[in-house]
Amino acid sequence: MDNRKKKTHLIKKNRSSINQTVEFSPEIDRFIKTRHKGTRPWILAHLFHKNNKFFIFFVLFTTIVAANLNSASLIVLGMTISELMDGNDSNFIFYIIIILILGISVPILRLFNYLVREILAQRLERDVRREFFTNLLGKSQSFHDQQKIGEVMARATDDVRMLNFMISPALSLIIESFTSLVVPLIYIALFFPPQLLLAPLIFVIFFLFALRSYIHKITPVTGILRFEFGRMNATLTETLNGIEVVKSSTQELAEMKKYLDKAMNYRDAFIKQGHIQAKYLPLLFLALSVTFGLTHAIYLYYQGFMNIGQIIAYVGLISLLRFPTFISIFVFAIIRLAVSGAQRLLNFMNQETEIDENLEGSEKIFEGNIKFENVSFAYSKRSQPILKNLSFEVKPGQTIAIVGTTGSGKTTLTKLISRLYDVNEGRILIDNIDVRNMALNSLRSQISYIEQDVFLFSTTIFENITFGRTSSIEDVEMVAKQAQAHEFISKLPNGYNSEVGERGVQLSGGERQRIAIARAFLSDPRILILDDSTSAIDSATEDKIQKAIRNILKDRTTILITHRLSQIRWADLILVLKQGEIVAKGTHEELLRTSEEYRKIFVKKFDVDLDYLLKQCEEKL
Amino acid sequence: MLAGLEAEEYDRKYEDKYLVNRIFSYFHPYRREMSIVIFFLIISAFTYALIPILVSIAITNLETNRDLLYLIIVILLIFILNLLSWGFNYFRQKYTARVVGNVVLDLRRDANKSVLNHDLSFFDRNPIGKIVSRMNTDSRDFGQTVDLTMQVVSSLFIMAILLIVMCLINMFLAIIFMISIPLFFIVALLFRKIARHKTLLGQRALASVNAYVKESFSGIQIAKTFRQERKLYEKFNDVNNQSYNVNLKKGFVLYTIFPSLGVIMGVLLALIVYFGGIYVIGGQISVGELYLFLQSLQMLFFPLLVIAAFWPQLQAGLAASERIFALIDTPPVVIQNNDIKPEKFKGKIEFRNLTFQYEDEKRVFDNFSLTIQPGESLAIVGHTGAGKSSLAKLLARFYEFQGGNILIDGTSIRDFDLSEYRKQIGIIPQIPFLWSGTIKSNIRYGFNNATREDIIEALNQTSGYGWVGELSKGLITKVGERGNQLSMGQRQLVVFARTLLENPSILILDEATASVDPFTETRIQDALEKTIKGRTSIIIAHRLWTVRHVDRIIVLDHGKIVEQGNHDELMAKGGKYAELYNTYFRHQSLEYIEKMRKSTHA
Repeated sequence: MDNRKKKTHLIKKNRSSINQTVEFSPEIDRFIKTRHKGTRPWILAHLFHKNNKFFIFFVLFTTIVAANLNSASLIVLGMTISELMDGNDSNFIFYIIIILILGISVPILRLFNYLVREILAQRLERDVRREFFTNLLGKSQSFHDQQKIGEVMARATDDVRMLNFMISPALSLIIESFTSLVVPLIYIALFFPPQLLLAPLIFVIFFLFALRSYIHKITPVTGILRFEFGRMNATLTETLNGIEVVKSSTQELAEMKKYLDKAMNYRDAFIKQGHIQAKYLPLLFLALSVTFGLTHAIYLYYQGFMNIGQIIAYVGLISLLRFPTFISIFVFAIIRLAVSGAQRLLNFMNQETEIDENLEGSEKIFEGNIKFENVSFAYSKRSQPILKNLSFEVKPGQTIAIVGTTGSGKTTLTKLISRLYDVNEGRILIDNIDVRNMALNSLRSQISYIEQDVFLFSTTIFENITFGRTSSIEDVEMVAKQAQAHEFISKLPNGYNSEVGERGVQLSGGERQRIAIARAFLSDPRILILDDSTSAIDSATEDKIQKAIRNILKDRTTILITHRLSQIRWADLILVLKQGEIVAKGTHEELLRTSEEYRKIFVKKFDVDLDYLLKQCEEKL
Repeated sequence: MLAGLEAEEYDRKYEDKYLVNRIFSYFHPYRREMSIVIFFLIISAFTYALIPILVSIAITNLETNRDLLYLIIVILLIFILNLLSWGFNYFRQKYTARVVGNVVLDLRRDANKSVLNHDLSFFDRNPIGKIVSRMNTDSRDFGQTVDLTMQVVSSLFIMAILLIVMCLINMFLAIIFMISIPLFFIVALLFRKIARHKTLLGQRALASVNAYVKESFSGIQIAKTFRQERKLYEKFNDVNNQSYNVNLKKGFVLYTIFPSLGVIMGVLLALIVYFGGIYVIGGQISVGELYLFLQSLQMLFFPLLVIAAFWPQLQAGLAASERIFALIDTPPVVIQNNDIKPEKFKGKIEFRNLTFQYEDEKRVFDNFSLTIQPGESLAIVGHTGAGKSSLAKLLARFYEFQGGNILIDGTSIRDFDLSEYRKQIGIIPQIPFLWSGTIKSNIRYGFNNATREDIIEALNQTSGYGWVGELSKGLITKVGERGNQLSMGQRQLVVFARTLLENPSILILDEATASVDPFTETRIQDALEKTIKGRTSIIIAHRLWTVRHVDRIIVLDHGKIVEQGNHDELMAKGGKYAELYNTYFRHQSLEYIEKMRKSTHA
């Protein structure tokens, strides 16, 4: 017990610090600290990571230079016109050449700017996605159980991509906007009477305020749009998935209304967005500022401070403000999306993993004795306990069957043994050692788990059986034979090299299960957990599966979760689970006598009475 | 994303003229708003074009006679026009949003109606994901196109007005100007083809990342138990790097287009200043007029860029409208000859010389006849493909038969009002579908006024309330998407209760082949026993218990009845049924279970 307390203490200490051990980490995690500081520091850390910062400076530099050249081009234009008006054409060709050079060099500079920006954006996307993926690999199973695959996928692709868009084009557009706001002002200050700064300065101040209020207004509406679009998709998908039920209960109208409700909400939000964008004030401010600037310039012309060429250049310069004004409508939406995307990524990555690797733990070879002592477990503090105060023991080499309805806690019980989760109370002992005091690697490699829906990776059957081990084809064939899988595998077009999954062969549940059994044979574990709910539609397949399972049980401690009555009937010990508690325990015969529910299964199914069933037991024993 | 570029079976090619008419018909209900939009579109284009012209006039005036009053009027005009232009634009955008929002809604409504009216063969042929994306995403794209078209049209107006003024000022400069326009388009088109190819590759690369993430985390538990994280990580890096390389190339191509257009503009600017300058020196045009050309260049570049950039989207939007219309226009194939609203059926079912096949496939039934008496329970057994489910689906009117007839109480099922008819047929499918919601909401689906008592009664009448009470939240337990929080067996129990609430005269049950835990299975038996009592029932049987308890078994083989009778009779006969028993039912028998000991403990 003392030992246990120490361990709990250790876990708590680990959790409070950031440097926790995770189940898997292939390289040094550089962003572990900034991830906890929040969205912005994390994004910034990525932006300035390694040579990314040089790219950033390049983008910044070229954008500023391009904006300057653009403004310079207008100054030259003004000079050209002024000299023309004076009838002086000596510098004319020279100016034209400058205008041409500037006109061509600005786009070329932009080209380089765009290309570098693109590299940066794609790198960010790649690196963040790798960070995300790696981080999730290191999370414990309890984390993964709570996630929907669709949700993980959406984050790993869409949300990560938002960060890409934030760089390309948003980041450089912002730099460009900012430069386009400032550079014309500088040029006006340098080449024109300083009074002329008045119109653009007033504009810039108004613009910043109006922009803030615009962002404030548009944010909730775009949120609604995204939300309703998602709901529209979800509703329609569900209706169409259940179209048979809709039709047989004649609910077409009700279903249509469900969809239209969401479609109408979407329309309302869409119209509202249109109204807000129509009311975008900065465009009006700009138009008015240009008019005011023109008037001001003409006034100064009358005062003799300016010439006509300068007026043209000046109006051209303040017209440059049009770009940041217009582009802001979109840029800030992109930035918002990226920040909320990053937030969603961090939400996942910052969740703490619950299982701590015990690096100094025991690595002994198992005999195979499993003991549950008052084990209780809930998936989270808020949820109801799944298992309540369970105690039982399995001797080495024994087979126990666990029966119960869905939700009774059967599968959860087995996951505690290999520490996919940790118990909340009590303890689980293997050969009298607490599983939490074992090295995770040693523990898991000595337990094989054949899950309910056997998952095969889309690679060859051979690799699905070896699963990372280096084995000869002879070994694999041998285990496949024991698992009753050799026969159907050799009938496949490419035998053991056939690809499985979407692009390869489709295997039935029974076939997948036998591949998993072969995989378990190859790893030859002391303890086997078999979550067996595969149905055999025909008796021949059933014979094969039974034979395969019978082979794998031999000389191992086995925990069977099964729907097969024959497995239950012949297990050394049967546990009947109901709402996380053991309500009955014993052999088939004992349970027939003691448990009404258990008895009913056999009596009802086969229309026989208890005496007949008990007689069967005696006969065979 | 990788697949799905091929056409769907309901796709068709519309003539452009028809397509345009059809699109217009959707705008017709909103013609008042549309005319407002068009009105403001035109006048805002005018005001927008007038502003640089007025500025140019002001400058010309400064240059020549310096009439102060004249200048003040011009500037005032510019001021007013700016205000107006913003106001016009406000109304245009506001009404456009209203029209587009409504048109998109109408499109969605029509498509939804059409889709829900199809029989099930339509859904067999068309994956749901694609229908959904056509209905929601394509209609959105179409809406965006409308908005874009408006902007393009307005830009073209402005350009046209400016070009006319430019031609009046100086023909030669205007021509230089006009030559550049096709140049823009040539560049845009050149890029389009290669950009499309690269975009497609980029999407595929991202799709494979997506697929890999899906696979990795679907199998995360097995990877963890076998400690294979590194393998997943390494493969992920390959896929992720590939996506990086491909998408980087795509970005390079896409972002080259804008600077290229920029170069054209730079050259054009120099040309206009050069020739314009010469004309100014020669006195043919004023500086103010030259300003107009320069200003127009800025204005030209912007809309052209919009058009060039969004050209693919514009095409896609038109294609999107075509795709939605194709969806709306697919005719449903359910045949209705009359709309008799039936009284409560007695439940006599006759299949008379029935002929049926799924489209372009082999015939399922050829001259098939069968009579089922009121209240009789009938089990259908046979190998996969014998036609068991087809029989049930035809009776439910999910598919149309080609020849012969199906009669209920002597009336052809094509003469009944479809929804009244379906209310009297209860169907329990093999893979029961539940709506994401609670157990309660699922049981009373279609009977919204059913009370809690009704629901508990329905449960008691079938499997008993007991199992629901054991769940964490009883009747209000959430069942999850498609009911995946419940086991297959539990889902079936919910559907049994739902069906009983419907109280149908005829029950069609496709028994689950999935394995069910023994407790739930016992309850399903209870439910079945109670539900078939007093009802004509057709059961596609997979359970030993069922075939032992029904009134009659028919053995189907390739759409023909080869044997019929009850279990014991047919077993004694030792024919096709006995063979099926050995194939599908033997392992469910007590003898089999008892025999397993020898092998388990051998």
